[in-house]
Amino acid sequence: MQANFRKNYYGYLFIAPFIIGFLIFGLYPVYDTVYLSFTDTTIMSPNSAQWVGLKNFERLFADDFFMRAVRNTWLIWLLNFIPQIGVALLVSVWFTSTRLKIKGVGVWRTLFYMPNLLMPASVAALFFALFSFYGPINQFMVKSGFLPEAMHYLQNTTVTRGLVVFIQWWMWFGQTVIIVMAGMTAISTSLYEAAMVDGASAWQMFSRITMPLLKPILIYIFVTSLVGGMQMFDIPYMLTDGRGSPAYSIMTNNILMYSKFSSSKGHIGAASSVGVLVFIMTTVIALGIFYFLRDRDSQ
Amino acid sequence: MLRKFYIVLSLVLIASFALAACGPTATEAPVAEETEAPVAEETEAPAVDAGPKVLNVWSFTNEIRTMAIAYEGKNPDVDVIYTMIPMTDGEYQTKVKAAVGTADAPDVVALEAAFVKEWVESDLLMDLNELLPYTEELQTYPAVVEVGTNDGVSKAFSYQATPGAYFYRRSIATECLGTDDPAEVQAMVADIDKFVETAAKIHDCGTGDYFAVGTAGAMFNPFLANRAQPWIVDDTLVFDPMVNEYVDFAKMMRENGYESQAGQWSEGWFAGMNDTLVDANGTPKKIFSYFLPTWGLPYVLIPNSTSDNTDTGGDWAMINGPLAYQWGGTWVGVLDTAPNAELAKDFVRFVALDEENLTNWATGVYTNDYLKAIDPETPDDQQQPSGDFVSSQVVVEKIASSFDDSDLAKWLGGQNSYTAFAKAAPSVNGKLMTGSDDAIQRALQSALEQYLNDEVTKEEMWPIWLDSVRNEFPDLVIPELPADFME
Repeated sequence: MQANFRKNYYGYLFIAPFIIGFLIFGLYPVYDTVYLSFTDTTIMSPNSAQWVGLKNFERLFADDFFMRAVRNTWLIWLLNFIPQIGVALLVSVWFTSTRLKIKGVGVWRTLFYMPNLLMPASVAALFFALFSFYGPINQFMVKSGFLPEAMHYLQNTTVTRGLVVFIQWWMWFGQTVIIVMAGMTAISTSLYEAAMVDGASAWQMFSRITMPLLKPILIYIFVTSLVGGMQMFDIPYMLTDGRGSPAYSIMTNNILMYSKFSSSKGHIGAASSVGVLVFIMTTVIALGIFYFLRDRDSQ
Repeated sequence: MLRKFYIVLSLVLIASFALAACGPTATEAPVAEETEAPVAEETEAPAVDAGPKVLNVWSFTNEIRTMAIAYEGKNPDVDVIYTMIPMTDGEYQTKVKAAVGTADAPDVVALEAAFVKEWVESDLLMDLNELLPYTEELQTYPAVVEVGTNDGVSKAFSYQATPGAYFYRRSIATECLGTDDPAEVQAMVADIDKFVETAAKIHDCGTGDYFAVGTAGAMFNPFLANRAQPWIVDDTLVFDPMVNEYVDFAKMMRENGYESQAGQWSEGWFAGMNDTLVDANGTPKKIFSYFLPTWGLPYVLIPNSTSDNTDTGGDWAMINGPLAYQWGGTWVGVLDTAPNAELAKDFVRFVALDEENLTNWATGVYTNDYLKAIDPETPDDQQQPSGDFVSSQVVVEKIASSFDDSDLAKWLGGQNSYTAFAKAAPSVNGKLMTGSDDAIQRALQSALEQYLNDEVTKEEMWPIWLDSVRNEFPDLVIPELPADFME
């Protein structure tokens, strides 16, 4: 025991900075948020805060507003995640294929990753200007006869949602390509060689070798994207008026939370209740993913 | 071993939860500790130099920086640390709220009309009643004082009064209305019905290429300024008939093509000011008029009246328009927590209630050279052009005639805007403003845009607005909509 302890001692020492940092800056805020969500704390009158039990949560479910935010978030995330992972897989298969031998993979990968380096604020401002009523997209559409007259793109719920989906996809698929490619190149080529000797088709190799061995990577992408997607904020916030307009079609969980926080009195108690529900939702889904995609063979 | 670790970990978790439950005081402590360091750094440097008194001022424009430098000129022992945070999407409001109660909270805050009431109604601003005698001496316009006052306690003052006006293009008036004389044009837009008639004339005369206004949204403020009651009375939302009237008016303007659909502050809206507005087909369009208040003239209209090839200066005239209103303005208040209260109060007095400063401010004394002489590090574009309309009637009356031959007057085809604003200022009403206006109105405008674009019907529009209001004001009572709102 004594010897064991000595050996492990350094391990704890080495992880201590992270654990301490996590407890203070990660865990404590989470618990404080949970605490706040049971109060009616406001920023403008912090001294009159009271314990209100589940009232904040009851209010969230009293009307459709919160559920609309949840549905929006899911919709926008799924619509950008599915093509994102699809395109990333396709591109990665091409780029890593020993048959195709595509040239300039590094250049392409860099180009795909580029949008991710742009500030979301400038991306949102760019698209806002492009799609404004007197903007270039309207000029192009009308002059080339696609539209009879100029339209307010950002007043149309479908167009606006579509734009957010597109921007999210465009900004993030390069990142996914890099991770997926790293995962694919890590798979031993001898497996593919053996499969080729046995006469396997490209699809068979992809579905029987690549996909199963890529599962941990895919789970990682899925979970990180889910966590990021549930907290989607910057693009939808800045693309229109910061309230999820038009008609709350791009109001996400975090925009709702923020609008409660930034309302005239600064209802941080009510805002926290949104945060808590998003936290619970994300955790449950992430655990679910791990459970269903667990490696059944090793049990 | 691992199990033991988990037990310890979960105990820590429980302990931290219990700690969090101790109350808001427990939550504030770490924030304060965390933020103390940078402030100490900022203030340390000048303290070493000559030991000046330090004042932290936050604002959302660079305007007050000019006065801060002038204040340093009058008080060499004071060092004003000026922080500008933009408020395009509410960043400034968020930042100030987040800083309240922490060590890097500012001493003096600038508060815009849209949210000044939230602060005046809160307990976070210092009682500045001792400055009230100065307002009597300077005859500060009553609305300005009223907005900064809650339950008899004045907490913020402003250097500006912001009565609204109506600016129109003389050339289009001559072409379409037969005259560009301000008195005659005023008669043609004297009330809403006449305004609509004139809008139709402008539209027909330009065969659809002339718009009466850039957007019906321009008249949001004028309509709301003529409500009978504020948005919230006794924690209950008020549906004033004026709100419904405005919605119908805006829809009518859109359907008849009397407005260009260029929203306020959008590129198209600005382009109309210098005749470079071009629709998607490439057809040039013209905007006849703009609803703008005092500050709109020097800060918005004049700077945007020129483009590379066009200059509309001199082609404008100014009248009262169909409805009296006010729009915007900047108030200054002192946070309750300010350590150097006397200094902060004196700064507010200087900014808003000092005859010499207000005179200098309005008459263009604060040039870049003037400011550089005080603080050599003044940025090159920091200065105050003449023409801002100040809050003191005494100052206004003294300086109004000095604008008779000014560049401003030339820009308005010979009209003295200052005299015109001076006539409108005393009648402005400050009673309708509440702390919740900004959020309620932004939500209404967002829903209204949907209705104007035929994305929703009028019946569908109201719930979109009210859902949002309900979610931002959990304790607000929202009564049934009046029946005529549905028609």
